[in-house]
Amino acid sequence: MIELRQLTKHYGVTLAVDDLTFTVTPGHVTGFLGPNGSGKSTAMRLILGLDAPDSGEALVNGRPYTSLSLPMRQVGALLDANAVHGGRSAYHHLLCLARTNDLGPRRVTEVLEQVGLAGAARRRVRGFSLGMKQRLGIAAALLGDPGVLMFDEPVNGLDPGGVRWIRDLMRTLAAEGRTILLSSHLMSEMALTADRIVIVGRGRLIADTTVDALTASHPTLEDAYMALTASSAQFEASP
Amino acid sequence: MHVIASEWLKVRSVRSSHLILILSLGAILLGVGLAWMASGMYDSAPPAQQSRARLAKLEEVLIVVPQLCLGVLGVLAITSEYATGTIRASLTVVPRRWPVLTAKATVVGALGLLTGATTVFGTYFLCRWVVGDRFAGVYTAPFLDKLPTLITTGLSVAVFALLGLGLGVILRSTAGAITILVGLVYVIPMIVGNLPEPWSELLGSVMIGSLPRQITGDDLTYTVYGSLLAPAAAATALTAYALLPVLAGAWLLRRRDA
Repeated sequence: MIELRQLTKHYGVTLAVDDLTFTVTPGHVTGFLGPNGSGKSTAMRLILGLDAPDSGEALVNGRPYTSLSLPMRQVGALLDANAVHGGRSAYHHLLCLARTNDLGPRRVTEVLEQVGLAGAARRRVRGFSLGMKQRLGIAAALLGDPGVLMFDEPVNGLDPGGVRWIRDLMRTLAAEGRTILLSSHLMSEMALTADRIVIVGRGRLIADTTVDALTASHPTLEDAYMALTASSAQFEASP
Repeated sequence: MHVIASEWLKVRSVRSSHLILILSLGAILLGVGLAWMASGMYDSAPPAQQSRARLAKLEEVLIVVPQLCLGVLGVLAITSEYATGTIRASLTVVPRRWPVLTAKATVVGALGLLTGATTVFGTYFLCRWVVGDRFAGVYTAPFLDKLPTLITTGLSVAVFALLGLGLGVILRSTAGAITILVGLVYVIPMIVGNLPEPWSELLGSVMIGSLPRQITGDDLTYTVYGSLLAPAAAATALTAYALLPVLAGAWLLRRRDA
């Protein structure tokens, strides 16, 4: 369970997240949508305690993230697949993270197998494709076998097989009763993966509903998204 | 303890750390090479020149090599995380943050102690063996008389490792932190040494390079440094160089958005 309560965050004069309130519940995949710069990544950083909110609060399983003592066992997150040290092997990258939460090499090997990187475990990350880095980031999120998972655009750079793998993984994790918050710009993919949808624009909540409700009122999820965010896109090409 | 294990793994799982440590130990070879060359020249010189020939204490001169190397290791321990973005993952898995910096300080500080002691004692013993009683007996003083200075000189390497880490966490930039570090070792002491008195002596007494020998009361007359500090004051100043930047960094790390 993830709860955002009137969460607000400025960077200088830019209002990144504006009075955002919504709840992500366990048991299904919640899609997190919004135009570039709409505050999705900021919201995720606020949930993880990486940035401090100006006001409001974000709770994970009823507690502020920063009060968790072994957070990997409760929350896993993939924020930026490229945020890895190129000179370190995939195995060591994961083991560095695992050690901090009292997890060992056996668990690292398990998740590397789970994401299909067992064969590349000892290779340095510098030579990885974006798709492989996405798999590595997902492996890092899964290390502590957490009940709450957040993924910021994990599908970018994956081949069709990888895209399908992510979709199945997300649905499986949700079916196990976990809370899944998944951001993506690929509407067709989101329609196949998510059950619930949260849409933000300019840092504010635009919609908190189900995929079924959106596709009932519009031809496709993409049409619904375009209609709902029409007024809040910040970066648009002129026609 | 878990965080220390993680930070230790971070250091030893990238190639740059290995290179830095090997380079530091290269100071020993450099010292022996210089001692051997100087001894050869000494032996082929006429007695009149021999009596006037002097040789610097090589373990004190060459300490700048491990000092700079470990300083860079300290910088990279944190700035490589900012450069690659792994700092976000590190602070997500340890949300209280300060244990990350404490663990980094423990790891680079311990490596500094180890490398400092190895290079200082290694250089000293090998040079003493090569030089023998040449150069007006620069290496003939009893070992126990030299021991305090060797210890404080070795300690200074750990000070640089922590200073590098502190500058790194404050500036979050590899280039910025290394520039300041090199400035503190080379550039500022040169400038200070050429200032008019009393400034040269005053400022020269608080340069890092002067502190190990002020702690043990060595003669600093023929150096760019001053020697106005009592041993306790010099020890305090050296500790401040090691700890103040790290403490300031810890405060910033807790307050800043990652």
